[in-house]
Amino acid sequence: ISQYSTIMMKRGVKILDSVPIDLFLEIFSRLPSKSISRFRCVSKLWGSMLHRQYFFTELFLTRSSARPRLLFILQGLRECSVFSSPQLQNPYGKSSSLVVSADFHVKFSRDMWPAEFCGFTCGLIYFYSMRISEKKGDDKVPVIFNPTTRQYASLPETDRFSRSFLGFDPIDKQFKVLSMPFPKFSNDHRILTLGTGEMSWKKIQCPLIHYLLSKEICINDVLYYLAETSDDEEVSIIVVCFDVRAEKFKIIEVEESFYYATLINYKGKLGGIRQKYDGDSNTLELHMWVLEDVEKWSKNVYTLPADKIVDFRIVSVVGVTATGEIVLSMRHTSKSFYVSYFNPERKTLQHVEIQGFGAYYDENRHRVVTFVDYVEDLNVNDAKYLKSSQCLNITRQRPKLPKPQNRRRRNRGQP
Amino acid sequence: MSKSEKKIVLKSLDNEAFEVEKAVALQSQTIWVMCEDKCVGNEIPLENVTGQILAKVIDYCKKHAVVDGDGDESSEELKNWDTEFTKNMDQSTLFNMILAANYLNIKSLLNLTCQAVADKTKTIDEFHTFLNIENNFTPEEEAQICQENLWAFDD
Repeated sequence: ISQYSTIMMKRGVKILDSVPIDLFLEIFSRLPSKSISRFRCVSKLWGSMLHRQYFFTELFLTRSSARPRLLFILQGLRECSVFSSPQLQNPYGKSSSLVVSADFHVKFSRDMWPAEFCGFTCGLIYFYSMRISEKKGDDKVPVIFNPTTRQYASLPETDRFSRSFLGFDPIDKQFKVLSMPFPKFSNDHRILTLGTGEMSWKKIQCPLIHYLLSKEICINDVLYYLAETSDDEEVSIIVVCFDVRAEKFKIIEVEESFYYATLINYKGKLGGIRQKYDGDSNTLELHMWVLEDVEKWSKNVYTLPADKIVDFRIVSVVGVTATGEIVLSMRHTSKSFYVSYFNPERKTLQHVEIQGFGAYYDENRHRVVTFVDYVEDLNVNDAKYLKSSQCLNITRQRPKLPKPQNRRRRNRGQP
Repeated sequence: MSKSEKKIVLKSLDNEAFEVEKAVALQSQTIWVMCEDKCVGNEIPLENVTGQILAKVIDYCKKHAVVDGDGDESSEELKNWDTEFTKNMDQSTLFNMILAANYLNIKSLLNLTCQAVADKTKTIDEFHTFLNIENNFTPEEEAQICQENLWAFDD
């Protein structure tokens, strides 16, 4: 074999010399991110080649954007794990038995605020409050984490009574964190720009006192969240729009039932979906608002018929894919964990079983927070402020799953 | 259209001639442009491709051509065929195929062959042997750069 490969290599030298660099980059852009980072260490030429902005933005990111993934955060009592799985492309008319397996990224064994409160913006997870030092009693700080490279940055601590969101300005390629009072009514909003040497929170003006109601969503360069505000007479529901670039607030009024909605990015437009479950018929109604024009909402209602595979009582709308499928995901780990894709234009529903969460079901159930359209990004934008995650108490090896035989026996014993 | 007009002859670097259906050959943007411009007769010289490689390219184009409505292969079947097609190619053949696909401008074949090389090149060892690349970092430089990319090595 070695003789053969020597011959192959000699012949190879000649052919490789005649392959232009751009064809090599074509090849590399098809590699998984992990291999690319490994190959950076191989030689000076390839190291610099694989660090070039052009390679990432034009080639690698284009390819990895073409294969977006789902990101799952599984939250236990004092730990949380991050997984991802392929996101279904064109989920129409497939068979009912699609199965994909989830890849393990990392496990945190740290005190943190519940993962329901973490955000996901432009490839980075934002844990708004996590204890990163070993010492008990040390304060928790916001942590930004890249699930692809497992690098992180910890930020200066915020007021204990606050929540904060990560936003991205795609023009200046700048991440900023917006912090607001929570759970209290006040006007104390602060902002922090990442990567500006000594990072510190600075106060910004918000025109209207409001009370935070929802998680955030970042579309283009605007952070959106639901809030309520009140004058002397009545309480009204609003969407707060924070322009990350200009650092200015804008308020959009919405109807009262928007209170129950999950904010979504519908093909680049802000939207909201409210779930209404009908117990008699086991059907699920999705009320979807989309902000079509300046302050002009369209509203549609879709009914998902009773379903044998997935119990609609235990799923939540988690987002909408770039191609317009509404994604529903189970809220807890379960013996069979499903994600469902509903296309509102074609009225198709496709379930996909996600495998690999077994160990997180047997011990104790975990809460699951799901994000759509996770694109593997090798941190061109954030490399300057993220560092290697050695000091975070994380596990990089996938926890061992119980042997399949044992599991089957145990499962059979259950009613 | 007479029979001869539907066929063209492709001539390789080493003067091997292949007579193929026009619909098969026109998957190559390069040949398509040549035919559009009418700058060639019925015989097209391809100065960058050897007969051995051209034969394989033609095999691929035949499989992927839609000839007279005769292209009803299922996409699943085509995919399997593609996998088999590149499976046993050695490194030199694969790179020659990439060069040929690039020169002939056949996007799907370029995509297939680049993916095939990428799939065979996942570990550092594979990278070294397959791409014949030498490590020219000093030990200090190597240690530093590996530190920066540590996350990629932990399994």
